[in-house]
Amino acid sequence: MTDNKVYYSVEAEENLICSKCGIPLEKTEAVFEYLDNSFPVELPACPKCGFVYVPEDLALGKVLSVEKVLEDK
Amino acid sequence: MDHFKERSTRDYFQKKLYSLEGLMERENRCIYEEPAFCHAACPLGLDAKKLIAFIEKGSFSEARAMLEHITPFPRILVYGCEAPCKKVCRMNEVGEGIDIPALERAAINHGSPKTGKGMLKFKKKQKAAVFGSDLFSLSLAAELARKSYPVSFYVSQADAVSLIKDCAPFLSEDDLAKEAKKLEAMDIKIIYSARLTKELFESEKKNFDIIAAARSFLSICFPGDLPDSRTLLSPVSQLLSSQNGDPNVLEAIFDARRAGVSADRIAQGLDPGSSRGEEGARESRLYTDMSEAVPSKRIPEPREGYAREAAIEEAARCIQCKCEECIKHCVFLQETGKYPRILTREIYNNVDIIMGDHLMNKTINSCSLCGQCTVTCPNGYDMAEICRDARENMVSTTKMALAYHEFALLDMLFSNDEAFLSKPQSGYEECKYVFFPGCQAGAIAPDAVFKAYSDLAGRLEGGVGLINGCCGAIAKWAGRTAMYEECEELLISELKKLGNPQIIAACPTCKKTLEEMIGAEVKGIWDILNENGLPAGALEYDRPLIMHDSCSARGDRDMQAAIRKLTDSLGCTLKEVPYNGDMTECCGYGGLVSYVNKDLASKMAQSCTKDEDVPYISYCMACRDRFAREGRESMHVLELVYAAPAGNPPDISEKRKNRLNLKRKLLEEVWNEEVIEVSPEYKIVIPEDVAEILDQRMILEEDVYDVIEAYHAGGSAVYDEKSGLLTSSLRKGNVTFWLNFTEDEAGEAGVYTIKGAYSHRMKVRTRYDV
Ligand code: SF4
Ligand code: SF4
Ligand code: SF4
Ligand SMILES: [Zn+2]
Repeated sequence: MTDNKVYYSVEAEENLICSKCGIPLEKTEAVFEYLDNSFPVELPACPKCGFVYVPEDLALGKVLSVEKVLEDK
Repeated sequence: MDHFKERSTRDYFQKKLYSLEGLMERENRCIYEEPAFCHAACPLGLDAKKLIAFIEKGSFSEARAMLEHITPFPRILVYGCEAPCKKVCRMNEVGEGIDIPALERAAINHGSPKTGKGMLKFKKKQKAAVFGSDLFSLSLAAELARKSYPVSFYVSQADAVSLIKDCAPFLSEDDLAKEAKKLEAMDIKIIYSARLTKELFESEKKNFDIIAAARSFLSICFPGDLPDSRTLLSPVSQLLSSQNGDPNVLEAIFDARRAGVSADRIAQGLDPGSSRGEEGARESRLYTDMSEAVPSKRIPEPREGYAREAAIEEAARCIQCKCEECIKHCVFLQETGKYPRILTREIYNNVDIIMGDHLMNKTINSCSLCGQCTVTCPNGYDMAEICRDARENMVSTTKMALAYHEFALLDMLFSNDEAFLSKPQSGYEECKYVFFPGCQAGAIAPDAVFKAYSDLAGRLEGGVGLINGCCGAIAKWAGRTAMYEECEELLISELKKLGNPQIIAACPTCKKTLEEMIGAEVKGIWDILNENGLPAGALEYDRPLIMHDSCSARGDRDMQAAIRKLTDSLGCTLKEVPYNGDMTECCGYGGLVSYVNKDLASKMAQSCTKDEDVPYISYCMACRDRFAREGRESMHVLELVYAAPAGNPPDISEKRKNRLNLKRKLLEEVWNEEVIEVSPEYKIVIPEDVAEILDQRMILEEDVYDVIEAYHAGGSAVYDEKSGLLTSSLRKGNVTFWLNFTEDEAGEAGVYTIKGAYSHRMKVRTRYDV
């Protein structure tokens, strides 16, 4: 990814821990992909196992609305 | 073939929905845009319906402007017109027609003239001369002046008032004065007291490009030189004149209009007959239902004309003729706010877009394909065909996102795979009959299906096989032709194995779909029950019921009658409602609306069940289910026949479990086969409120189990120290499912209690992953 623009950014709250690795999640560069489009974002993820966390309000808000727009492109 | 590969927004395929002729042929069936009857009857094209609507709102000036626009001397028109509009007014059929000319007079009297100068117009180079005065030549002179030709008007009268008076002797002194003033203000060079002779004409004509005359002038100077009936141009003299020697007011003004068009053609050096379009009065193709029009009497017009209030009252009697037959009972069309003609054009254009937003996609997927419009429309407009064609087109050009129908399509595959069952009756290899209950029956009323099969197998001779699956309607509705063909292949081969038996369907949609598929008659279980009598233990029902006909039974009078015969033998008293039988509405399941547009589907179900106090009975499981979901008392006729009430409507997961349990029960109890079930060593608890969320968000229990299984097998999760909740996810196909849950190590097996669930279709990864 050369694009440095970040469409959306979610802070990693301190209380979020990766249950597998036992370490806190960190704000991480991530990508959403859909129907051959991708969007760089920043989301909490586990620095060790790479598990990316998509909170509910993001999934049902921004993510859903972008999905809908792309579906009818 | 991978039916579930997501589309790419980078694919640019396009296929026309219809040829242009195909489009027009469809669009032309919808006469919504036809002029009202009064409007079509006016040779000048005055839209009386619109004028009346202005008056009804009290907008007299707007109404007046319409009159000023169609003729230079509106007073002459409104006091002299023979008013063919009034004769064709549809209100004549139920009472008295609207007094349109009286309303026009009110518009002139109560409206103010348009103020402000028009646009600056340059005079045309071609000059016009008009010889002699009658209403035609007066109107034409004014018409030509409006068109910016320099006009010379030779008249015998000495002044404007006597000129107007000779042309319109019926005007009052006051109106005469007003129209005369108007004439004087026009940009016309009037040569008063002219001696109108052939010599004058011969000497003057060379100075003009356009020449016209009063009809008497033409007859005297050029006897036998008659104006052409279309262009009004006389071949010898080249004069434009009125068609008849003694035209009435409307004819004279209409002829002036037509002669004006000829003048333009002549000025442009064209044939005056060329490109004239449609002129004059015609018959409207509009359809207007008068069954609900309230008869009323004309408000009498006093000699001085209507007062404002009286005019408004008369205008309010107009029903504003229009055709809305299809829209009246179609919730989908009401929701779009568009009538089929325009909707078709927009769908056509939407399909044509290669890149950019396809704003009509959701609309195309929101029609229930129920066919009601084809019956309600006086011209049989088939919106279902257009929406179905558009869906197929979108699928074939990869414009159809899977998101719209994926859940329904996966459900169909579930019916035809995991939950599928196809067997001959025990003891038979081939059967005379096969029972095809349909996917929804097993999902919603599994007990009734079980009992129905046992009953048929017990009572019919020759063996009754069973095929429990989906008929393929779901794929058809989704426009997924390839998936439908796979379903067809499966069913045809299973039927063949059973010796191509007579199919007995329990669902009108299955019956219709299968008949198309095999090209032979499919019976309904209702036919069999009518022939063989009710089984023992059938429930009698003594409260009145409303029968809701399935939209797939539209046009199938035999089926509609057979069902009524069956409910009759059950002792039911049916209350018939007007929109039933061939006119029936769709419950919102048809065309997969309930998957695409839940709110609209709810409205459809509500519209079918307006009577809240009477229970509804139907013969389609989907109708039964959708009405119950809207809180209506609703039952399927087989629930009564087999004394197997299905209870509360199942959620999406229960619908799957019901199908699996039915299959297991049939295998175990009818075919004595052992079914082995494996269950995980841990326990999953889904509280009721969470089950509701799952249903709303179209997340199956199976998905919940899969997420937990992946976590249990060592997958990652986020632990929120504040809430104590774990959140884990799993990508299944095109969807990522997320669960919030707690993990409880009570005993040796874990207990997972689900607290929340959501999903999205986008894929997510860190930027370091590839
Ligand atoms: S019923 Fe509907 S489709 Fe038919 S002409 Fe009227 S508006 Fe058009
Ligand atoms: S009811 Fe109104 S719109 Fe219909 S024909 Fe009469 S005047 Fe015209
Ligand atoms: S097919 Fe049914 S839902 Fe679709 S437009 Fe016609 S009446 Fe309305
Ligand atoms: Zn981790």
